[in-house]
Amino acid sequence: MKQSFGDRLFNVCNYIVFGIFTLLCIFPFYYLFIQTISDNSLSASGQVTFYPKGIHFNNYVEVLKVKGLSNAAIVSIARTVLGTLGTVIGSAFLGYLFTKQKMAGRVFWYRFVIITMYFNAGIIPWFIIMMNLNLTNNFWAYILPAIVSPFNVILVKTFVESLPEALEESAEMDGAGTIVLFTRIVFPLIVPIVATIAIFSAVNQWNSFMDTVFLMTNDKLYTLQFVLYKYLNESNSLAAIIRSGQGMENIDLSKMQTSTSIRTTVAMIVVIPILLVYPFFQRFFVKGIMIGAVKG
Amino acid sequence: MNPVVEPKRKRINFSISLRYRLLLYAAPFLVLVLVFSYFPLYGWTYAFFNYRVGFPLFETEFVGFKWFTSIISNEYQMQEVVRVMKNTFGISTLGLITSIFPVFFAIFLVEIRTNWYKRLVQTLTTLPNFISWVLVYAIAFMLFSVDSGIINKLMIQLGLQSQPVNYLASPDHIWLKMTLWSIWKGLGWSAILYIAAITSIDQELYDAAKVDGAGRFRLMWHITLPGVMSTFFVLLLLSIANFINNGLEQYFVFQNSLNKDTIEVLDLYVYNTGLVGYNFSFATAVSMLKSLVSIFLLFIANQLSKWVRGESII
Amino acid sequence: MKKKTRKSLIVLLSAVMLLSMLAACSSKNNDPQPTTTANNAGTTPEVEVTEEPKREEITIDVFSMLSNFSGEQTGWFAHVLKEKFNVKLNIIASNLEGGGDIKFQSMMASGDLGDLVVFGDTDSKYLDAIAAGMLLDWNKDGLVETYGKNMLQYAPKALEKNQAQFGGGTSIYGIGNEVGPESDGPSEAQELNYHPNLRWDLYEQLGRPEINTMEDYLPVLKDMQELQPKSDSGKPTYAFSMWADWDGNMMMNTKAWAGMHGYEEGDGFNPGGFTLVSADSEDVQGILDEDSYYMRGLRLYFDANQMGLVDPDSITQNFDEAVNKMRDGQLLFSWFSWFDDAYNTPERLAEGKGFHLVPFNEERSFSNGFNPYGGNRVWSIGSKAEHPERVMEVIDWLYSPEGNMTANYGPEGMAWELKDGKPVLTALGEEAFPSNKTPIPAEFGGGVWDDGRNQINNTTFKSTMINPDNGDPYDQSLWTSTLAKNPTKLEENWRAAMGASTAVEWFVKNNKIAVQKAIYTGQPYVEMSDDLKQKQGQVASVIKEYSWKLIYANDEAQFNKLKEEMINKAKGLGYDDVVEFNKEQHKVVFELRKSS
Repeated sequence: MKQSFGDRLFNVCNYIVFGIFTLLCIFPFYYLFIQTISDNSLSASGQVTFYPKGIHFNNYVEVLKVKGLSNAAIVSIARTVLGTLGTVIGSAFLGYLFTKQKMAGRVFWYRFVIITMYFNAGIIPWFIIMMNLNLTNNFWAYILPAIVSPFNVILVKTFVESLPEALEESAEMDGAGTIVLFTRIVFPLIVPIVATIAIFSAVNQWNSFMDTVFLMTNDKLYTLQFVLYKYLNESNSLAAIIRSGQGMENIDLSKMQTSTSIRTTVAMIVVIPILLVYPFFQRFFVKGIMIGAVKG
Repeated sequence: MNPVVEPKRKRINFSISLRYRLLLYAAPFLVLVLVFSYFPLYGWTYAFFNYRVGFPLFETEFVGFKWFTSIISNEYQMQEVVRVMKNTFGISTLGLITSIFPVFFAIFLVEIRTNWYKRLVQTLTTLPNFISWVLVYAIAFMLFSVDSGIINKLMIQLGLQSQPVNYLASPDHIWLKMTLWSIWKGLGWSAILYIAAITSIDQELYDAAKVDGAGRFRLMWHITLPGVMSTFFVLLLLSIANFINNGLEQYFVFQNSLNKDTIEVLDLYVYNTGLVGYNFSFATAVSMLKSLVSIFLLFIANQLSKWVRGESII
Repeated sequence: MKKKTRKSLIVLLSAVMLLSMLAACSSKNNDPQPTTTANNAGTTPEVEVTEEPKREEITIDVFSMLSNFSGEQTGWFAHVLKEKFNVKLNIIASNLEGGGDIKFQSMMASGDLGDLVVFGDTDSKYLDAIAAGMLLDWNKDGLVETYGKNMLQYAPKALEKNQAQFGGGTSIYGIGNEVGPESDGPSEAQELNYHPNLRWDLYEQLGRPEINTMEDYLPVLKDMQELQPKSDSGKPTYAFSMWADWDGNMMMNTKAWAGMHGYEEGDGFNPGGFTLVSADSEDVQGILDEDSYYMRGLRLYFDANQMGLVDPDSITQNFDEAVNKMRDGQLLFSWFSWFDDAYNTPERLAEGKGFHLVPFNEERSFSNGFNPYGGNRVWSIGSKAEHPERVMEVIDWLYSPEGNMTANYGPEGMAWELKDGKPVLTALGEEAFPSNKTPIPAEFGGGVWDDGRNQINNTTFKSTMINPDNGDPYDQSLWTSTLAKNPTKLEENWRAAMGASTAVEWFVKNNKIAVQKAIYTGQPYVEMSDDLKQKQGQVASVIKEYSWKLIYANDEAQFNKLKEEMINKAKGLGYDDVVEFNKEQHKVVFELRKSS
């Protein structure tokens, strides 16, 4: 098929515009990265802008020496993998179930699930419930509450509803039960959306730490984010005391300052694993190969 | 794929009808939702007392709606609340309007034929999503600070400015600036969903249309766009329900006293007046109000959807 | 094909993760499971078969509202505790960015505050904890009598005060920090907190012009700026570079000027509000009063900004940035003695460049007096502690001379040793103190110096108090051996010019110091009602916002207009009510000062 002039022009513009935007996205990240490998005092006085100066990797060595990091990394990986599995299976299945018009009280239960996105009663009541369920200092506290994610349920439901009905109907007439319908017929067709909610859920699990803050006092259950977050916020307790106007006795400057280099290094350490895993998911939702086919 | 109806299936068929069987399958998940999202709601009762943590509720003083009315108890406070709601309104509206951008991003991205370029762009544009707002501000500071900011230096060199301008402290166009930062941060990531949606569109539709002689833009307009619209509308209407919840972090890091008037959204205002830290009842009252408003907006949006598109989202 | 590999990959991954989790689980199972009562926050009765079967190893859960660290205490301090007491510390920090006291509230809600609880202030949290029965009474079963011998000997008044103030005269719910001797005079070591420190070398170059009032600094600073227009890295220099992230009830960098006149936010007993209270007289200023030091400070900054002495980025930067600028040499003025430590590196000091005190004649710098009654950062024991006597042992040891020295500087022989009865830094100590990453020999616990530091982050004795064991103060910078060391070039210049060897000495000699004495009272301070707190929050928000705006006002007219707006808004939101309450409470303190 010959490309018209308009087509070619569009192509070129498209490539360029995306190229520019991508650079806009990369440059800040690149800027942060070179801060972490440049000499710290040069970085602090703002002299490192376009390329690293005085390259060293000490910042990474320092952060990687933080106590409990390796155990925390394992905990984070475990919760990410298991949590994502749980969320994908749970939310996808529930989303599918809600597409069935026949379900008793479908609209009511759907709304029941959805409106939970818009309210929360505060951390203390949530904490007390978790405590009463024995989920404090318990690994399952990372997994169970995440299984039903209303947002993901909505996505799956919307997606499945856009699939042709003929598909399911023919299988139903052949006598397939609900679960078989879901696993053999519907699931393979919604792979892109499943991949999407998998990546959303995985990133969520990887980045969350508030639950660790409140629920865990056993340091074997600390996640990577939590350990690093604690490491970063060392200066905050003194700052909080100063803010409350209690006077500034015994202030030690070394305790008050969090160097930006360290903060950025931590950010890099947290992001890089995600970037490594991401391409694995990407091929499921970037259009390339067509998946599934509907035959009359 | 010609399964014979096996006798053993009858075992399931006669006990519970399909209607309730479906509900049964859903039941364990509904229980999870009940336990983790609804049980904690008992905490809303705290909003009506002078609750102190650690003491049993029946020992604390009942105060009715005191905390709710304290938000607007005098004239100056009313002014403050009005100002803050204006900011929230402005920023949320801009957010809603620009929420279509990821759709266009996705649609144009799939038009790129070179596979490696497409995937590279897709991966790299998600990077800003992973940079926390604190670090985003560090970048912003590097770019826009008065003394050493790159932008100021550049503008002066190019002769467009004679003096450095304090961009970060300026109260002008704050809503726009905040929206632009949000877009930069979220565009690549939000587009993932729409890219996935486009991937699921049946290739046959495209083939058939091409046979009919449709050009590229026709294809985009008549096939790709409708394919993602249902997803988009669902998300749009859900965002309407989140109208008053702008979040805290972004506005917290960018605020300073010169732009505070226009950047202070509701969440930030509540945080700034410092009460939610220790006055538990007040914090609960605020959270309760916001939840009720959100749910109300959700049902309104649903009604809108019924009128405009003929179907409800929930 | 692809589906199969993907499936098997997922299965494989989950199997691997499941296995690793089970492995982690089994090591977790060494600790008792979280049972139906959330009370077993972590005591691990692993019975060790040693020569002393009477002492099991226990883990003490330390919930410290001052700590920045979360996790098990490691390094040399952990080693000492294990050797001496066979305990481990599991530190649970409470501080969250912007999260307020939610962690504390959740611990309260769970009914267990841990074994050793350290409070940042004796405020409503402390009072609530006592009222809800979360803290152990030290008088019960003679706990303090049996296990608190050091406290009874070295800090008896602190125990008395807690008993009277919080325990209704019969119970003791903890002991305060920074316990000092009963002497008058400043309790600081070499420098006070509020210190007009300038670049001494530049000041000398200008011929050391006399400075009468605080406003007189401006022309001097302007001259200094002309002498040094660029920092080490070529950036423009400023006198004042400030930061907004420490502002509480008011703008902190402005409040500092009040401190230099002997007025602080709060009276040392009640929490701060909108008043500035004199350290040693009965004068109280509201910060919005026409001639208060706060307003004078704002005016000073406005004038300074007009003169180009104020960093335009002050309003958008945070503390870290300001310190970076100081380190780079971009700043010429420092309000706090510790702020300019970033610039005063050994290299620069050797050249005679650095910051040091340049006082003004009207100055009467604020100083904290010694406090034999203990401060507000209380050490207490949780009521659900399984082994309260073991916890008490540790606290008690920290209140002994030996314990205090060890907690701060390590055990004897590691970083310091006694020579002729006086403490002297060892070679290891010389290296460790400045660098903090010095490795510690395995016999002392291994790790590096910094890791091993006491992470509970609270003090017991005032560091400037004299150690009865050797006659030198606890504070390493005041040891006879340290003071005998050769001063740097900067130090020499300064001493020659000022006629005193430290800043504190100069202040005392020239009577330019205002010492706030500690008071003894039988009641806890009166807490504000919630309505008043709400007003305070809103007024504070307004005051902070306008303070910064005033500094950057374009001209006199705008300055006055903004000032009027600020005052009107603040008063409209309840400023006067808060100030009145503050003043009432100050009256109580003034009475008590007379009798202490």
